[in-house]
Amino acid sequence: MSTDDESFHPLGNEWENELETMLDDTEYDTELGMEMAQDAFRVTKGELSEAEFHEKYHEDVMEEFGEDNRPTAEAFEAAQEEAKGAASRMLSKFEGDGEEGRREAMKKMGAGAAAVGLGAWGTVENGNEPDPEPDVAAAAEEEEDPYEHDRTQWGMALDLERCDGCLSCVTACATENQLDSGVNWMYVLEFEDPGESANTNSSLARTSGPSPNRLIRPCQHCTDAPCEKVCPTTARHTRDKDGLVLTDYDVCIGCRYCQVACPYGVNYFQWDEPDVSTEDIAEHHEELGQGDHMTDDRGRWVDSRAPRGVMSKCTMCPSRQDGHMGEEYVGTTACQQACPPGAIQFGNMSDEESDPKKYAANPSRGRTLERISPPSADALEESLDGADDDLESVLEATDLDEDTLALMKAVEITGELGTGDGKLAGYEREFQEALDALADHGLDLDSEDVLVELDLADETDEDEEFDGPSVEDAQQRLEAFTGSPESNFRLLEDMGTNPNIVYLGQEPGPHAEQTEPTGATSLEYEQLSYEAVNGETIDLVDNRKEVLDEETVGDTGWSL
Amino acid sequence: MSTKTPSEADILRPINTFTKKYIALFGVCALAFGAFLVAWAYQLQKGLVVTGLGDWGSGGGVTWGLYIGAFIWWVGIAHGGIILSAAVRLLGMDRYMPVARLAELLTIAGLSAAGFYILVHMGRPDRMVTSVLGHYHITVNNSPLVWDVTVITAYFVLTATYLALTLRYDITRLRDQLPDLFEPVYKIMTIGYTKEEDRVIERMVWWLALAIIIMAPLLLHGGVIPWLFAVLPGMPAWFGAVQGPQFLTIALTSAISGVILVAYAFRRAYDWEHIMTDDVFRGLLLWLGFFCLLFLWLQLQQNVTGLFKAPLSTSTAQGATLDHPIYLLSMGLVFATLAYIFAQTIRPSLFTKARAILSGIVVLTATFLEKLLFVVEGFMHPEFEIYAATPGEYFPSAIEWLSLAGTIGMVVLIFLSVSKVVPVVELHAIEHLRGDHGHEHEEHGETAAEKEVKA
Ligand code: SF4
Ligand code: SF4
Repeated sequence: MSTDDESFHPLGNEWENELETMLDDTEYDTELGMEMAQDAFRVTKGELSEAEFHEKYHEDVMEEFGEDNRPTAEAFEAAQEEAKGAASRMLSKFEGDGEEGRREAMKKMGAGAAAVGLGAWGTVENGNEPDPEPDVAAAAEEEEDPYEHDRTQWGMALDLERCDGCLSCVTACATENQLDSGVNWMYVLEFEDPGESANTNSSLARTSGPSPNRLIRPCQHCTDAPCEKVCPTTARHTRDKDGLVLTDYDVCIGCRYCQVACPYGVNYFQWDEPDVSTEDIAEHHEELGQGDHMTDDRGRWVDSRAPRGVMSKCTMCPSRQDGHMGEEYVGTTACQQACPPGAIQFGNMSDEESDPKKYAANPSRGRTLERISPPSADALEESLDGADDDLESVLEATDLDEDTLALMKAVEITGELGTGDGKLAGYEREFQEALDALADHGLDLDSEDVLVELDLADETDEDEEFDGPSVEDAQQRLEAFTGSPESNFRLLEDMGTNPNIVYLGQEPGPHAEQTEPTGATSLEYEQLSYEAVNGETIDLVDNRKEVLDEETVGDTGWSL
Repeated sequence: MSTKTPSEADILRPINTFTKKYIALFGVCALAFGAFLVAWAYQLQKGLVVTGLGDWGSGGGVTWGLYIGAFIWWVGIAHGGIILSAAVRLLGMDRYMPVARLAELLTIAGLSAAGFYILVHMGRPDRMVTSVLGHYHITVNNSPLVWDVTVITAYFVLTATYLALTLRYDITRLRDQLPDLFEPVYKIMTIGYTKEEDRVIERMVWWLALAIIIMAPLLLHGGVIPWLFAVLPGMPAWFGAVQGPQFLTIALTSAISGVILVAYAFRRAYDWEHIMTDDVFRGLLLWLGFFCLLFLWLQLQQNVTGLFKAPLSTSTAQGATLDHPIYLLSMGLVFATLAYIFAQTIRPSLFTKARAILSGIVVLTATFLEKLLFVVEGFMHPEFEIYAATPGEYFPSAIEWLSLAGTIGMVVLIFLSVSKVVPVVELHAIEHLRGDHGHEHEEHGETAAEKEVKA
């Protein structure tokens, strides 16, 4: 999405001029409207903070429209209500009197400005607010969002600040696919980034405390995959039904052009006979009634390690997605299931309620769901038997402390519980059941007293009416507990690959360089191994060249 | 010029002699080629792990290496050869007529070597037909590699047609002096020949030459071959528009060097001083000098734009290239050749056969090194250079080096074999040298182009 002209809007000058004319027709200041829209765009790009935006326009807005009521609880609520879009959230901060006022302001500011600048309000990085996905579609329906699909698109949200560097995912992937030493389809690296501020608040994200920057690097399963474009055989292809980028091992001629064209360096060629034979893999899985773990639903050989002479890379587990391993494995990957802190969220990127989408939309909430396991409803019922129903008694009778309960309630306040069918939805249901059990016992978690006590609502004066929990307070509560990521990015986005992996955390800059693993939970590749289905122990290796050099004919040890 | 008059017997000499030297050279080349075939068989059995290649990224290697570098080198030599020959026909540069067919044969042999490298480079060459042809209608829309295969095939066919057409004239006229052993070959090649077709063929050849000249920069070494690399934004060492012209100059320098070497070898073996005169070599050297200058000029372009204030990843990649001893060696060799060629135009006494041959060898070495390094450098400094194992390590394995000897052997074998069957100097060429201006084609021989070259 780029235009050559100087226009601030992605649709270019023409669109902008049209808007200007539209604004001219209203009674309000055209220049102000356009300027605001322009700056709103800068906020979405992260060049301007939301606070600065308000600072800048407060007076103008007062003068022009006679009202400015920022920020309010309503404003925050608006942000949470995706249906109403991000534009309303921005505007609501100038207004404040609920729906009526918001609409009024929208009209006043000129629909054009709203559409141009504020409709696209998206990746706002301000304070600790959640990070809704860019809502460009709202700004202009014609604009095609490369990340929108009308079918399933498997993908991931990877929370780099939660990664422990334990390499559980790497080992799990090697085991799942019977990979040779050094074939790290899933790769995790630590990096230093001179010129970037040190990891800001990732200390809150992990139980193990502050950690170095890490990058989790599977294949990005790009929507516009250059590896696929250059393949001379169609062996590298995107599977129609779910957008997985796969390699047909029966078609690939081993030219390695895909490895050359992929900007991420995620491909691993099968230079020699793989350590584990095709027969062993088939036998192992067939015994378990799981198919052969190689052939997908279309009958193409795309899963498990590659045979000699063809290309391989992370597959996102088609055998699982096709249900060959059982229904419970659909929507999971080996790495994701193995990750202890839940830094890998796998799911359908076309579904707003999938794990990765949910997690990326509000990472603090996602992290809290991963980190807290509430007592079961039965356990609660049991321990509450005979206890009073006030907050203090409930906390005393159960294992719950006040913080945990507040976090559980905060999760409920910041989003509906149990929507979708991902792993997070399951956690949400656990939260729901626990909260329901408390409610059944008689604890009114929506009462002013309890909410104020849990710091989830403001105390009201006598003449005011209590208007329920504060979404903002709840969000703050979550962020104070587990932090919110440095940024939300896709890797090498300007390469036009449209990757289907969203990263949360620090983006590696152009100077970033991998370093030795450090930190309490980090492991080295060489410390790990797995037992293959043929009974052999296969060691994990970081730099595959060391393994390959052993069979090079006339290896001199020199390098060009 | 020589005092001897070129005759039919001269150009038939390679066919009608059989010397010990020939057998020895044939033996050496067959050995080199055979040794590589054995090595390739071993590679097929073991996998490409026998090479020094690896995975770029966490894998600490480079994905493409000598095989692809040598592939481009051979394609360059091949493309330049046909361009030279087409220029001779199109522009009437008759001085070079005696080497035109050798240039065409160099194209055929070079393309064969390049095609062979494609197979050697692949993990599953056995699937070439099913996988590549089977999906051709889809992949031709996207994959530069498919464009490459298409264009190389097209050029092979074009050159072969070109050769076959011009050979009909010669074979018919020389048939009586040709060995009966190859009778069936000659029969097929001259099938349906009548004297009237000469004129038609001349026109066809002219049009083919035109097609080749036009396609060369647009599609060939100025097009699809560099696009294999130049269109990939992930590798800043490759990305960019300068690669097209650069590849073309490298092809032309390599090809002229190749023609110089081949022509000298034939001249020496068959006493052709009066056919391939010193004058021809002086002219070829001058052209070589001119293309060396273009070569260095385009390298300069890339270095200045890549180093002055380029994006970080580009300047890292360009800086690494400029610092590389092999790159410096390669540029130094081309520069030295250029200096020599210009010096000998000022002082003609500096010209000797040995120095001309040396120039050819030096330039071919330089272009090979440049191509090898070009391929490798891309992987050493990708845009995404975060990996500790990047830049990776690569040094061609014994088998990869052997492939170079093997393909050189293969190319020489093609020359040795073809020269035993058909004349490698055109009959037209000696007719022209004798001054039988019986042909329209030769009539405008001494015109503008000729004078231009002399100037
Ligand atoms: S990251 Fe993208 S370009 Fe690279 S292999 Fe995966 S799908 Fe292909
Ligand atoms: S190595 Fe295989 S998958 Fe990759 S580009 Fe070549 S044929 Fe396609």
